[in-house]
Amino acid sequence: MDTQFLVSLSIILATFGLYIGIAIYNTAKQTSDFYVASRGVPPIFNGMAIGADWMSAASFIGMAGTIMLLGYDGLAYIMGWTGGYLLLTFLLAPQLRKYGRYTVPEFIGDRYNSHTARVIAAISTIIISFTYSIGQLSGSGVVIGRLFEIDAKLGTMIGVVLIATYAAFGGMKGITWTQVAQYIILIIAYLIPVIFMSLQVTSSALPWLSYGELVGKMGELDRELGISEYFAPFTNGTKWQFLALMFTLMAGTAGLPHVIVRFYTVSTMKAARWSGAWALLFIGLLYLSAPAYAAFSRFILMTKVAGSKISELPAWTKTWVDTGKLQVADGNGDGVLQWSELIISNDIVVMATPEIANLGVFVIGLVAAGAMAAALSTAGGLMIAISSAFAHDIYYRVMKPNATEKTRLNVARLSIVIATLFAGLIALDPPGAITQIVAWAFALASGTFFPALILGVWWKRSNSQGVIAGMLVGLAVTLGYIFAAKYGGFTILGIIDTGAGVFGATAAILANVIVSLATPAPSQKIQEEVLDLRYPEQMTYKNGEVWMNDDATKSV
Amino acid sequence: MSVIHEGLYKGDKQNQRGVNVKKIDKSVADAYFREKTRNMIIYFIVWFIVSFGAVMIAEPLSEISIGGFPFHYFMGAQGAVVTFIILLFVNAKLSDGIDKKYGIDEEKNVKLSEGKSLDH
Repeated sequence: MDTQFLVSLSIILATFGLYIGIAIYNTAKQTSDFYVASRGVPPIFNGMAIGADWMSAASFIGMAGTIMLLGYDGLAYIMGWTGGYLLLTFLLAPQLRKYGRYTVPEFIGDRYNSHTARVIAAISTIIISFTYSIGQLSGSGVVIGRLFEIDAKLGTMIGVVLIATYAAFGGMKGITWTQVAQYIILIIAYLIPVIFMSLQVTSSALPWLSYGELVGKMGELDRELGISEYFAPFTNGTKWQFLALMFTLMAGTAGLPHVIVRFYTVSTMKAARWSGAWALLFIGLLYLSAPAYAAFSRFILMTKVAGSKISELPAWTKTWVDTGKLQVADGNGDGVLQWSELIISNDIVVMATPEIANLGVFVIGLVAAGAMAAALSTAGGLMIAISSAFAHDIYYRVMKPNATEKTRLNVARLSIVIATLFAGLIALDPPGAITQIVAWAFALASGTFFPALILGVWWKRSNSQGVIAGMLVGLAVTLGYIFAAKYGGFTILGIIDTGAGVFGATAAILANVIVSLATPAPSQKIQEEVLDLRYPEQMTYKNGEVWMNDDATKSV
Repeated sequence: MSVIHEGLYKGDKQNQRGVNVKKIDKSVADAYFREKTRNMIIYFIVWFIVSFGAVMIAEPLSEISIGGFPFHYFMGAQGAVVTFIILLFVNAKLSDGIDKKYGIDEEKNVKLSEGKSLDH
């Protein structure tokens, strides 16, 4: 056991202790405050909680590595995962808040007045959140694998036990403040190494301003090596793939059940707008830093590691080679490690760089704790989405309407454990890099929920037959395209599996509109409820007239 | 659906449940909706230009350099994200102004929304 292991483990355990402490404190407080209504969390803290919920292992562990390996083409992830917040905050969050339901399938079931639509939405929620959680488990495998210096597969198994326990026994109620703490830990853990690397390489403490010159410098190094320049556009895929991926990530953001549910917990439509704005500011802190992280990592690898003798490689290479995510092979047998002989997985760049740059045991431990915070907070939200889709929307609302609360809670916990175990099984041999797996979840969300929610909120004529057709077609087209592109080599305009959402969303919107128009319009009541979403809470639309409520006394 | 909605439709001014509601001119409500929609369309045009637009013309943009960055790279890594954040705050602020102009009282909204959803 070396110092690094002890320091990393202590920091991880200390942060876990903090989360559990906050959860226990809030649960206790909540029981005593049980009858006091409305303890709205201020939008600024709600923004942090949304940020922690949102930023997963894909953002924290995977994204900078993806940008490092893809160059400019990786920036589709940056713009896609932030730009989606405009769709969400302008077109959906306040309106869904006014409608007021507990889960996304519940909104779809009630808005379209159809049990079939509710069940399809619940199943889609499970498929999307499940896919997403494979990426989280795979990420926790990387962190734990490095910590114990074991294969990432074993690390994933430990992660499964951790996440199943965390989600099944904690995190049901009063999670907002725990997530605020998780946000603070993860953003500090991400910014410190970037700032240290910036000081080391450019002697500026502002990485966001200083890495520009590095990007240009690396272009020169690339030209000398005879490879395409780091910043050259569309070298790893077509322009259409870039645009399709960006669209998929944006539309998926506006259709992810576990993110939308967060906006149900704000107090009003106004609070939803402000929470969305604060959330993107806090998320933006990490997203603006990720390309800097990528640039510094690549520069350090190119200038300090590549070109050194194989026999004299520093100690960190061995520990990462053990996880199975790094390969250093002297391909041409000259005893020197060339840039092209260094094969590094997207998923370890963020974790390995602090070691490569020699930032000290404390920073390395902090990054591990931040990565665990990112994976845990998101996995918690995903598992709650899965369990509520099954236990609330399918089991309670459709199968057993008179099930007791205790039975429902047990069903919810059981579904969490089964889902985590099953996702862990797939994560043992991950079908792609973390960002790629997560991009599939976004493609599925943009093919199912994005069209169903946008049309449900903004087009009163959309009916149950339309939404059922739309979600089924969207799901089939998205899944079909992902498999055809990944395993069958089938592509349109060079758009690969991660950009599948653009086809899914288009097909779903067309199916929804065509089928809705070919079948009878929804009831007058439903159409009025849809128009009502245009106005703030105080205005109510009814019988073609708008009523203004001036008292707001609802209990009489 | 909360009590207020059931009560709301049954009468003008004071309904039988004693809730004070009044009918407002439909054109006023429509004006509210139009103002917000117009702003939203502007935000989405800007959103489209800085993201999809900048990607579509990435090659010519790469000739320009800003702070050491090729311009297309700068837009993808920073320019677009900062614009998105600004747009969201502008929307939140301007929407507050529109609410105020039409006499919407946030405290009443809070009361009306209570119990309509999970309180985490």
